[in-house]
Amino acid sequence: MEAKLPEFGRFAEPSLLILVSLSDGPKHGYAIMQDVEQGTGRPMGAGTLYAALARLEERGLVEPLTPVDRRRPYRLTAVGATMLAEQLRGLSKFAQRGLRQLGETRP
Amino acid sequence: MKSFLIRCYPSRWRDRYGDEFEAILDERPLGPFDVADILLAAIDAHLHLRGIDAASNHTRGFMMSLRIGGSAAILGGVLFLAGLVASSIDQSDEGASPWAAFLFAGTAALLLALIGLSSFQARRHPRLIWTAFAVPALGTAVSCIGIVGMAVVGDRSLIADFSPWEIWIFGIFATVLGSALFAVATYQTRALSRRAAALLATGSIVLVAILVVGMTGIVPAVVGDAGVVTSVLMLAGLLAFAAGWIALGWTALRLERPTAAAA
Repeated sequence: MEAKLPEFGRFAEPSLLILVSLSDGPKHGYAIMQDVEQGTGRPMGAGTLYAALARLEERGLVEPLTPVDRRRPYRLTAVGATMLAEQLRGLSKFAQRGLRQLGETRP
Repeated sequence: MKSFLIRCYPSRWRDRYGDEFEAILDERPLGPFDVADILLAAIDAHLHLRGIDAASNHTRGFMMSLRIGGSAAILGGVLFLAGLVASSIDQSDEGASPWAAFLFAGTAALLLALIGLSSFQARRHPRLIWTAFAVPALGTAVSCIGIVGMAVVGDRSLIADFSPWEIWIFGIFATVLGSALFAVATYQTRALSRRAAALLATGSIVLVAILVVGMTGIVPAVVGDAGVVTSVLMLAGLLAFAAGWIALGWTALRLERPTAAAA
C-alpha cells in the first residue's frame, strides 16, 4: 500500500472519518460533514473537510462524481476501500489490546 | 464574509473546489470555529499547492538558494573581516565609524547566507538552525540600533546605561554566536565542507569567548602580555571566522556549478 494515512499529518483523523463516511456510498461534502458529526459528536469544519478531501483525491483514495447543482458527490475507490479496511483492522487490534490491558490492570 | 473566505484560497484550489465549497458555506451557518478552520485550511492549501508546483522546480530553487547563500557568505565574510579590523584600527571618536556600516552590511550578508545555506541542516536540526538564524537576526537589529546611536548620541548612554558602542558589540556577539550554532549544525550534517564548518566553529567560539571576557570583565585587565595574547587570539579568531564563512560560500557555489552546467 503506497499511501498511509499518517502521511496526511493533522488531516489523518479527518481523512479516516471521511473514508468511513463514504464506505456506505457516495456523499457530497455537506452530507459527509453531517455524517461525521452524527457519528463522532464533534463538528468537522468545512476547511478541514476539503483539506482532507483534496489529499484523499490526490492519492486516489476517493474520486469525485458528476456534480448535482453545485454539490459534488465523492465515492471511495477500490484502493481507498482497501486502505480503510487496513486502517480499521489496525485500530481494532490496538483498541482490543488497550481494552485487554485495561481489564488486566483493573482491581 | 463567505466570498472573502473563499478568496483566501489559491486560485487553482478555487477553480477545482470553489463551487462546491461555496455551496457548503451557503448551507451551513458560519461560527468563529468555522472561520478559523477555513482560514487555517486556506493557509494549508497555499502551502500544499506550492509544494506541488515547486516539485518540478525544486532543484532550480535549491540551486538558487545555494548561489545566493554562497555569494552572501563570501561577501559577508570579507565585509565582516574588513569592517571589524578597520574599526579596531580606526580610533577616531567622531560618532559612528564608516567601517561600522561595513560591518553592519557584512552582518546582514551573513544572515542571508544563513538562510540560503541552511536547507539541509534544518531538516535534521530545525531548532538549532532556527536559533542560529534568530540570534544573529536579533543581533543585526541590535547592531543597527548601536550604529544609529553612535551617529546620534556618540558615547552617551542610549539604553539602560549601555552606550551605543556596547549595544553594537552586543549585536556583533549575537552574529558570531549564531554563526557558531550554524557551523555546528553544518558540521554534524556534512551538508557543506566539514573543514570549512570546523574553521567557522573554531573562529566563532574563539571570538565568542573573547567577547564574553571583554563584556563581562571576568579577566579584570587585558593589558601587557595578556593583552597581546588576547589581540593575537582575536585576530586569529576573526580570520578563522571570515575564512570559514568564505570557504562555506565557496563550497556552496561549487556544489551548484556542475548541475547548472548540465541544465
